[in-house]
Amino acid sequence: MNPTVSASGLSLHYGRTRALDEVELRLTPGVTGLLGPNGAGKTTLLRVLATAVPADRGSFTVLGHDPRTARGRQEVRRHLGYLPQTPGFHPGFTAFEFVDYVAILKELTDRRARHREVRRVLEEVGLGEVRGRRIRKLSGGMRQRVALAAALVGDPGFLVLDEPTVGLDPEQRMRFRELIARAGEGRTVLLSTHQTEDVAMLCRRVLVMAGGTVRFDGTPAELTARAAGRVWSSTERDPGAKAGWRTGTGTFRNVGDPPAGADLAEATLEDGYLLVLDGMGAGVAA
Amino acid sequence: MRVTWASLLPVLRTLPWPTLTAAGGVGLLLAAVPRLADGTAAAGPALDLLRCVALTGGLGLAFLLDDPARHTTAAVPVRRLARQALRAALVAPPVALWWAAAVLLVPAEIRPPVGDVTLEAAAVGLLALAGAAAGVRLTDRPRPGPGVAAGLLAAAVLAPLLLPERWALFVPADDDRWAAAHDRWALLLAAAVAAWGLYGRERLGRRR
Repeated sequence: MNPTVSASGLSLHYGRTRALDEVELRLTPGVTGLLGPNGAGKTTLLRVLATAVPADRGSFTVLGHDPRTARGRQEVRRHLGYLPQTPGFHPGFTAFEFVDYVAILKELTDRRARHREVRRVLEEVGLGEVRGRRIRKLSGGMRQRVALAAALVGDPGFLVLDEPTVGLDPEQRMRFRELIARAGEGRTVLLSTHQTEDVAMLCRRVLVMAGGTVRFDGTPAELTARAAGRVWSSTERDPGAKAGWRTGTGTFRNVGDPPAGADLAEATLEDGYLLVLDGMGAGVAA
Repeated sequence: MRVTWASLLPVLRTLPWPTLTAAGGVGLLLAAVPRLADGTAAAGPALDLLRCVALTGGLGLAFLLDDPARHTTAAVPVRRLARQALRAALVAPPVALWWAAAVLLVPAEIRPPVGDVTLEAAAVGLLALAGAAAGVRLTDRPRPGPGVAAGLLAAAVLAPLLLPERWALFVPADDDRWAAAHDRWALLLAAAVAAWGLYGRERLGRRR
């Protein structure tokens, strides 16, 4: 399958800080999760791929277009939807007016067709009923959905979502998962998140970043498999564990190299993620 | 062109009208001082007042490119410079009317040469826009206006004190250096336009 996004040697420095370091990437249709600790370079990678900032070195294409020329970048943006980490709005606009404004900036100039498209995306994110309400009167979750609608307007082939579920309550997160899963049908979605459950439930593929590089690239099952046989329960905290915490049942759940005879537990994606970050599971799977 | 036409109304609504109105109101009050001062004002203070009026206008324009939705609209195909130019074009007519009103508020007998002082005001306004464009390009802030306005104010205070004699800009109307100073104002205006053009563009990645 031809990749929607193909990146090679992407690097970006902020002063002396290396935010991205020789990132290699190929994204195909479906939802790809991007995990990593704060400062790993996730947002920087997303901003580069969304053409919001240029890379210092390296190259990438989106649907065959190279954003290192003005024309190429414009073409990339015609096929791109971007939901930034901290989306901002004009609070005096209604949800409809704001998405309509973004649609104009996405060059949807035919008024009737544009309004139809704006209504469609607002319905898609569940805001059809409140489309006439001013953004300042919407809840945080609703505003996040307005931002998603703005990203979806124009039916882009590549969708970049930077922590869209942060700050949402569990019900809103579930709703957002549903929206992202639907958005991933037939288009390429890159989803940055701190929620390993989001990745486990939504993503066909997962990337783990740390220190500006991709430490893991594989399926969620492969990431979980990194922790197989490396998670165990004990009645006391195991000092040899890389990470360990008391669970609700009073026993300790440990992740690392288990001692002989340890009571092994079922690994989760989060355990695999922790081990990849710790270097134990480092390496690219796919 | 169709995008420009379609975006006229929404962009008009996104402009920082309260800030622009406040700056404009203060400017007009300043311009009205000679009329309120019982006709005792002289030409020198009238020129200084008009320069202060121009500065208040510049301070207001420093906020023109503030955009709370900046990050949400960071990756749209319409170019940043075109979007900034549209914002400037939309405020240009009211700003021109405002400046004309400010100049007319100064009694004709003490009014400084209108063309030259308008050149000064245009340079200040474009410097503010260039600064705002630099604020957008060099920072991630959706609202770089306050920093730009502070910089413009500092420059306006420090320039008369620090500029060497041969580069003097703020000279009295009856000074021999008036014409030469306005050649420099014209240069400053051209530099501001160039700086805006430079900072208004988005950087492209390096091709290696």
